[in-house]
Amino acid sequence: MSAQEPATAASSAAVHLDGISKRYGSVQACADVDLMLQRGRIHGILGENGAGKSTLMKILIGLVLPDAGSIDIDGERVLIRDPLDAARHGIGMVHQHFSLVEPLRVWENVALGEAGALRPAEVRERIVEISDRYGLDVDPDAVVGDLPVGMRQRVEIIKCLRRDPSILVFDEPTSVLTPAESEQLFDTLRHAVVSEGRAVALVSHKLDEIIAATDEVTIMRQGRVVDHVATDQVDASGLAAAMVGRSVSLRSERVALGLVDADVRGTEVPDTEPDLAPEVLRLDGVTVRDRDGRTVLDRLDLGVRAGEIVGVAGVEGNGQRQLADVLSSLTGVDEGRVVVDGDEIPTGKAGAMAAGGVGVIPEDRHDSGVVLEMTVAENLWLVDPGRVSRRNVLDHRTMRRTTEELIDEFEISCSGPDSPLFSLSGGNQQRVVLARELSHEPTVLVAAQPTRGLDVGAIEYMTDRLRRTAESGVGVLLISSELEEILDLAHRIVVISDGRIIGEMDRADADLARIGSLMGGHAA
Amino acid sequence: MSVDDGTTTGPPTTRPHDGVAAEDLVPEMGTDGTLTEEPHHAPPGTSMADRLRSVGEVVGLYAVCIAIALGLSALLVQATGGSPSEVLSALLDGSIRGPGRIGATIGVAVPLLLVAIGTIVSNRAGLVNIGQEGQLYIGAAFGAYFGTKLGWSGPGVIVLLLVASVIGGALWAGIAGVLRYRRGVPEVLTTLLLVTIAAQLAGYGLKNQWLLLAPAEGRANRQQISQQLPDDTRLPRVTWFGNEFPISAFIAILLALLVAAVLARTVWGLRIRMLGHNPRTAQRAGVAASRYGGGALLISGAFAGLAGGMMLAGGDFGNYTLVPGFPSQIGWTGLLVALVSRQRASAAIAIALVFAGLRTGSGFLAATGVERRITDVVQGLLVLALLIPPALLFLRERRRAMNSGGDRT
Amino acid sequence: MIGDFLSAIGDVLTSEAAYINAFTFAAFLAFGASGEWVAERSGTLNISLEGMFLAAAFAAAVGMDRFGNELAAVGCGVVAGVLVAAVQANMSHRLAANQFVVGLTLNILVLGLASFLASELDPVIRQVDSQRIPLLADIPLIGEALFDRTWMFYLVYLVIPACWWIVFRTRWGLELRSTGENPQSADVSGIDVNKRRREGIYVAGVTAGLGGAYLVLGAVGTFEDSIVGGRGFIALIAVIFGGWTLRGTVAGCVLFGTVLSFRLSLPNLGYDLSTDLLTALPFLVTILVMAIFAKRVRPPTALAQPFIRGLK
Repeated sequence: MSAQEPATAASSAAVHLDGISKRYGSVQACADVDLMLQRGRIHGILGENGAGKSTLMKILIGLVLPDAGSIDIDGERVLIRDPLDAARHGIGMVHQHFSLVEPLRVWENVALGEAGALRPAEVRERIVEISDRYGLDVDPDAVVGDLPVGMRQRVEIIKCLRRDPSILVFDEPTSVLTPAESEQLFDTLRHAVVSEGRAVALVSHKLDEIIAATDEVTIMRQGRVVDHVATDQVDASGLAAAMVGRSVSLRSERVALGLVDADVRGTEVPDTEPDLAPEVLRLDGVTVRDRDGRTVLDRLDLGVRAGEIVGVAGVEGNGQRQLADVLSSLTGVDEGRVVVDGDEIPTGKAGAMAAGGVGVIPEDRHDSGVVLEMTVAENLWLVDPGRVSRRNVLDHRTMRRTTEELIDEFEISCSGPDSPLFSLSGGNQQRVVLARELSHEPTVLVAAQPTRGLDVGAIEYMTDRLRRTAESGVGVLLISSELEEILDLAHRIVVISDGRIIGEMDRADADLARIGSLMGGHAA
Repeated sequence: MSVDDGTTTGPPTTRPHDGVAAEDLVPEMGTDGTLTEEPHHAPPGTSMADRLRSVGEVVGLYAVCIAIALGLSALLVQATGGSPSEVLSALLDGSIRGPGRIGATIGVAVPLLLVAIGTIVSNRAGLVNIGQEGQLYIGAAFGAYFGTKLGWSGPGVIVLLLVASVIGGALWAGIAGVLRYRRGVPEVLTTLLLVTIAAQLAGYGLKNQWLLLAPAEGRANRQQISQQLPDDTRLPRVTWFGNEFPISAFIAILLALLVAAVLARTVWGLRIRMLGHNPRTAQRAGVAASRYGGGALLISGAFAGLAGGMMLAGGDFGNYTLVPGFPSQIGWTGLLVALVSRQRASAAIAIALVFAGLRTGSGFLAATGVERRITDVVQGLLVLALLIPPALLFLRERRRAMNSGGDRT
Repeated sequence: MIGDFLSAIGDVLTSEAAYINAFTFAAFLAFGASGEWVAERSGTLNISLEGMFLAAAFAAAVGMDRFGNELAAVGCGVVAGVLVAAVQANMSHRLAANQFVVGLTLNILVLGLASFLASELDPVIRQVDSQRIPLLADIPLIGEALFDRTWMFYLVYLVIPACWWIVFRTRWGLELRSTGENPQSADVSGIDVNKRRREGIYVAGVTAGLGGAYLVLGAVGTFEDSIVGGRGFIALIAVIFGGWTLRGTVAGCVLFGTVLSFRLSLPNLGYDLSTDLLTALPFLVTILVMAIFAKRVRPPTALAQPFIRGLK
């Protein structure tokens, strides 16, 4: 044990990260970062996408090794090489994605990653106990795959709390929660902190959340700490300015920061009058069941008119992915039909939606948007190679020329039409998808979580493009779990919950409270 | 812990990455660390000197792996009482040094190459067809039926025979295709099981005169072989510098180049590659897996069948006669050629020749007292060894990508 | 034709000798299949099972020939199985080479090695004696088939429950299953995914080693390089047939073992059928069974998908 030294702020801190640096090639993800988490306090870590906050947390829980810097826990220097090390030092993280194994039961998931003999009865007991203590109400024998997303996060939290961590890290916890669930989560957090003296780090890019839930906040920008303040001494605009590095005036930046509220009348909604325009997309009673027989889309009705942006709001995991899959010809419907521009399109038939005029910016471009191993040119033309070929032989000259035009028009940064797509950064890959889908002159454009993971500049570019697309007469279906994005762009808002559309309103009548309650599955 | 010295504030030293946390760089896995709008930087080390050095490294790596495989083979020969140098010498005599042996090697390389290019097509479509041995056998059996049982002869029958072989091979692979796309059975398993069934079917055919068995007067009693192809129903053979081989050699090379061009230059090739790399993107882009994947499987079976037909009509195997065990591992070896050539049809030409040389060389081993199956061992070890460098390079590439910004996956 | 077929089945079901043949094959398959099941639950479709069987059969034959001791011979078999497993495991789950390519190459390499070494070493062995279990062996029809066997056969009664126990009752098994279902989550939870997967393959190596030794010493009594003859793949498919449950896998082994035994049983019962077709029958049945069942079962989500951190 270390000798008792005079108590300073640093030695009394539960965690003291000192001078942490991490470099990925030419990119400095973290540069000389200092951070102190105190017991009994919620510490917000705020920054744009790419600011380095996730890297910092991954260093803390042992998923990333830093290039330089040290970590002290309770005043003692520690070495954290992997998540098990972190767990031994009392650090637990609630991951946003990818930590639960769906086919396993709740208790099995909770036990996963611990050491020692497996004692199911003991694990179950402990789950019930933690459930009761924090009001998390989870059945230890339920199969995780059967649980709704909000419930899965409870399992995540229990999995984390079961190890009785003294330091808790939450990574963007509210993206899978309804507003009401978010509030409940923060109540739980507060409870864990105040009554049990744990230290909590809350990683977020949403200002209102940071202001509502934290005691102090560290703001990061481009891998550096730019400010550290007590939360009650700052306001949203001050935080926003610190986070972006300049004063925030552009609306899309405010969107990116979660600053829009429903009462501000959007000037960004495209200047079209879709009420009179013909309907270009119609979904009638669309029902989809997954391979285990669960209904994931339930008699879904939806229409989009030419020049209109319809926003599909909802908590993640309520059927949005399947909706996009249907419109990408990736899933056939069990019942119902899809009509594009007056023609019924067969579902689940390869390429039918694309041929029928449905462009898609997928939620996960690596999953169904691009082929990483192929070149930029091939990726731009893979949906419609007929345009760059003669008698089914690719015309490389035309392909090159048209590709260069698109690279210019969409400002895609790459070393040329023949560079493999994996050599492009994520934002540029996204632009390749955008360029392809728009250059095919779609009747309908489906944009699923189009700004996820992008930083402010890229978000601005994307929203601007979507708006111009609608203005040119294309019907846009915007599927997003970021309410701000939908409020900013959409003429009309529908709310999806449990695979059903449970509410619909015009932008002019939008009311945050009502949308929030709809997202929670309560038809209001 | 002290990763650095904790107190120094100088520029951070870089240290080798221990293979953790690439998800930092995958945009979908976190909201941060994607560094999306960073301009793309060319990967480090693209100067001429660096490129030369990396080529040198690759060559060196391959050399080491091949040396280990050959060294192990030599040890094995030594341990079982043989002499590695005599074995090597016999192998060289049998494959290239002996008079006319190059021709024999080319004759063996032809079906290997044909099997390999078919395999490359199905591999590119993301399918694992490992049943070429059976597809080849069925192809040869179809060819033998049309070549001997119809009572016709002449050059036209050669074409008929080869077409029948192609259809036979494609049919056999097609069974796996139907099961894959209608019933969801993995093709890796069905193609494999169909090998045994093909051998038994052909064996059954060779026992029954209404199928393949030669009339009793044309063979020794109880011999289960087909009739020999008539003289004018054989592929013409050419002689270059004392080396004789069938003209199918030229056809095979032309087909290899054709397949390479089709895959790289046509819409169909683009779609096949798309399907192999990312089936979901392909599905959305209009590439129906059953149509294109099934097509690729048929083509790969067709090539294996053609190899069987060429073996029968070419004369290097079975003396223009279908005999039990006719494929003699050519299907398996051709598959290995495709794997080692890493899906490049042009590379397959060279590798087919090497593997053919091992085989023709093994015929000269009897004098050394070493069992000829040693060449199967050498070949297997070589293939295993050749799998290592690309895997190592791929891992290193990934590690580098993880360390160098950008979310390349 | 169908009538003949049904009466043949009827005869088989009432013949004690047919049961003995069927369970000989079933036990051999079950040794390999139970280990294969463990490997597949961790996400490896391990096609080198065939090579493991063959290597083990050969090593056990040589061991028996050299040491004259059954235990030592079985030990040799297990070591050989594990050696093949080591190559498969390290190449596919350390170097990330394609697992099918590695497995296929291994199968061909082992076949070459076994036939080369068999002609050099020429092991001479005979079938080992059986140990009759009193009372149980007197059960009519199936008693002798199940309880008048060599001790190697009885090992299968231990191997199957042992595999079940380690997969469902231990922390190791929980971790193994998680790597087969969602390796990314397992990784984030602090589990060394590729290590667990390698260990799964080692388990298959051990059980296939026992199976190969049983095959050559307990069932056949001589070694030839065609002794496994593609039956490793049938054991592998028994796992798929069983829908990745151990119970179903064992049922698959009994079914396929019975079909495999037809080639021995039917001629003995006086049926004159083409040996070619009888040899092909188990493979045909296997394909048909897969065609019927493949869509109804859910494989481990990450089956046959390599895990490299950062790659989805």
